[in-house]
Amino acid sequence: MTDFAVTRREPSLGWWGMALFVAAEATLFGVLVATYFYLRFKNLEWPPQGIPEPKLGVPLVLLGVLLVTSVPMQLALRAANAHRLGAARLLLGLASIVQAGYFAMQVHEYAGDLGRFAPADHAYASIYYTLLGADHAHVALGLLLDLWLLAKLARGLTRYRLNALSAITFYWHAVNVLTIAVTLTILSPSL
Amino acid sequence: MRERVERLERIWVARPGVLGWLTTTDHKRIGLLYFWATLVFFGAGGVEALLLRTQLAQPNGDVLGPDTYDQLFTTHGLTMIFWFIIPMTTGAFGNYLIPLMIGARDMAFPRLNALSFWVFLASGIFLYVGLFLGFGPNAGWFDYVPLASRLYDPARNIEFYSLGLIFNGIASTLTAVNFIVTIFKLRAPGMSFNRIPLFCFAFLAASFGLLFALPALSADLILLFLDRNLGMHFFDPAHGGSTLLWQHLFWFFGHPEVYILIVPAFGIATEIIPALTQRKMIAFPLVAIAELLVVFIGFGVWAHHMFADGLPTTTLVFFAGATAMVVIPSTIQVFAWSSTIFTGLPRFKTPLLFIVGFILFFVIGGLTGVMFVAIPFTQQVTDTYFVVAHFHYIIFGAAVFPIFGGMYYWFPKLTGRMYFERPGQISFWIIFVGTNLLFFPMHIVGLLGMPRRVYTYPGGMGWTAYNAIESVGGFVTLAGILLLFGNLVVSYFRGAPAGPDPWHGPTLEWSVPSPPPEYNFAVVPTVSSAYPNWDEADREADRRRLAEGVGVLDDGHEQVVSTLVDGEAAEVVKMPHSSPWPVLLALCLSGMLAVLVVEKFAVAAFFAVLLALTLLGWHSTEPEAE
Repeated sequence: MTDFAVTRREPSLGWWGMALFVAAEATLFGVLVATYFYLRFKNLEWPPQGIPEPKLGVPLVLLGVLLVTSVPMQLALRAANAHRLGAARLLLGLASIVQAGYFAMQVHEYAGDLGRFAPADHAYASIYYTLLGADHAHVALGLLLDLWLLAKLARGLTRYRLNALSAITFYWHAVNVLTIAVTLTILSPSL
Repeated sequence: MRERVERLERIWVARPGVLGWLTTTDHKRIGLLYFWATLVFFGAGGVEALLLRTQLAQPNGDVLGPDTYDQLFTTHGLTMIFWFIIPMTTGAFGNYLIPLMIGARDMAFPRLNALSFWVFLASGIFLYVGLFLGFGPNAGWFDYVPLASRLYDPARNIEFYSLGLIFNGIASTLTAVNFIVTIFKLRAPGMSFNRIPLFCFAFLAASFGLLFALPALSADLILLFLDRNLGMHFFDPAHGGSTLLWQHLFWFFGHPEVYILIVPAFGIATEIIPALTQRKMIAFPLVAIAELLVVFIGFGVWAHHMFADGLPTTTLVFFAGATAMVVIPSTIQVFAWSSTIFTGLPRFKTPLLFIVGFILFFVIGGLTGVMFVAIPFTQQVTDTYFVVAHFHYIIFGAAVFPIFGGMYYWFPKLTGRMYFERPGQISFWIIFVGTNLLFFPMHIVGLLGMPRRVYTYPGGMGWTAYNAIESVGGFVTLAGILLLFGNLVVSYFRGAPAGPDPWHGPTLEWSVPSPPPEYNFAVVPTVSSAYPNWDEADREADRRRLAEGVGVLDDGHEQVVSTLVDGEAAEVVKMPHSSPWPVLLALCLSGMLAVLVVEKFAVAAFFAVLLALTLLGWHSTEPEAE
């Protein structure tokens, strides 16, 4: 295009859209975390009698595993920016496998919790399952985005797909930060 | 030059017929769709209001029973806020005008824009299906628990409330994201941040407000849905929940919401005033900052709706203080508007009359608003008609008057014809008088102790005459509004040709033909001030560049993307154009949310899968490849 000299490469429209979507989602999580602590300070016993305190080990290890996936995601973006499609696909695939493992473990844990206490037992249980469920749903959405992008990248790299990769990478970084907040909130009675 | 324009016309031409409207991604068409849909909802909300006023016109009225009254006043409030004012300002005015004002050819996400319209339309149909089935929301627009809990409201009324608003919130969030990115990134080269029209600053403020306020409402609604349908206990004190939690979350959304309603009206005023006084807005930067600041402060004042709840005194004093702060940006704007009018060359045509009316109502409603800062006073008048009077002065007088003014002001741009001036001015005076008759006596009956939300009242309380005047005022207002729309309809067929710029308007929408062509600008305009249409040399340069073929961008649906702060051209992108996916996606989403009312979770999951497939289809083509 000769009519307008390209001055500077800035984030794409798609990245901006994702950033604002994430801002709204982060607000949603902020509200849910605030709800957790609001209810906590309204109750003398938290968790109430009959509901076990959350265990620290497995959730913290899983959190660490999920956070590490930010590295291959960012590297995949860097590789794609340098037109190294093979490396980008490999890194994205690697991140996706680890994220899927994380998700499977979390679903297992969630199901196990449901065996011990039900969402309808107490407000504690209600916010516990709602907050965790919202976080896991965001991981699941991220996995779907990964799969879609991998399928797209199998047929080559375009500007559109590069924008998608940068937006999805940003999404995962955001989900990881939100997961830190959610995990620490959920574990707070045991910390 | 002629052939370049014809080429653009061929590239941007819309599909014919109904299919063209269903698949459109043109911001102007979407704006018009919003306009018509919103007008229907305005009519519904108006009919509800008149039914309520007919019931209350005399003591012991028997037009409506208590249950019908509850559903109608709740639906009236919801309709006017969520299905009239917000979609009329952001959806209709914003969609149609913002790309034209910033020199763009469409919104940043054209298909998302279409999606937001269809989701919005579905949400409104959903709400009214509920009402016609006898399940209209019936616990007031702020829907306090425990009244709204399953124990006290066991039928499906509240599901129509919560799911309808979640729907509506999705549409508004999509619109907000679209406006922010559009204003940030699609400005014409040269339109640096300080040259963005004040109208767009106002919509930027409203969009950020929606983006950060709606999640609180959505969360609140989801928690309510879970409480009512899955037996959870967020709002149930017997099991560790809290009823005040609902109120905190609701008003954390609800108060910014009030400013989201009014800020676009500020934006409309800041367009009409310069055009009809032929004078640049006084204190431009202060007004821009004030527009943003109103919404920002609006996030810190929510508990002033809860002064009668028994919160700790420290909390009340903090929120009273924060509320008083809103006076500062509001006053800055009032003085900027009025001093611009006083020092300019005002032509008191219909649009400016509505803006003067708006300023008066805003000052009166603002003064009663400041009174609520006095905590004991608020505790006295909470839940009386005094509050109803206050917020109708703001929401009808201050938020809707500029909408009416804007309809007259931009009518020639949309249709290419002028409206009739004399009937326009008469319609203003009738609506102005009607509004005062309707809402002013509410202050008095409120102070006399008449509670709001009662479906009837006994005689001999000293309220009878005031209520009769209010009801007469309602019908006077109706007459004025009918005259307004009658005038516009007749003008559409018989009005004098308006030409591109009948007002000598300051912003770029007046530099293009009326109605604007599909591609908006034949040549990408360049901008060197906040009033680009008054920069004759720049517009002359545009015409020269068109003749030379520089900056026409006619290689597909092309659009310049500019840098965030300086507004320099950064790249040229191809925009998507007409797509069936948005309307299909909205259908899937509607199916999903509608079956949740009857707790068919498996069917909802089926619709979720369909939705995912639709998204795959949506992303199967890439704009660059088209």
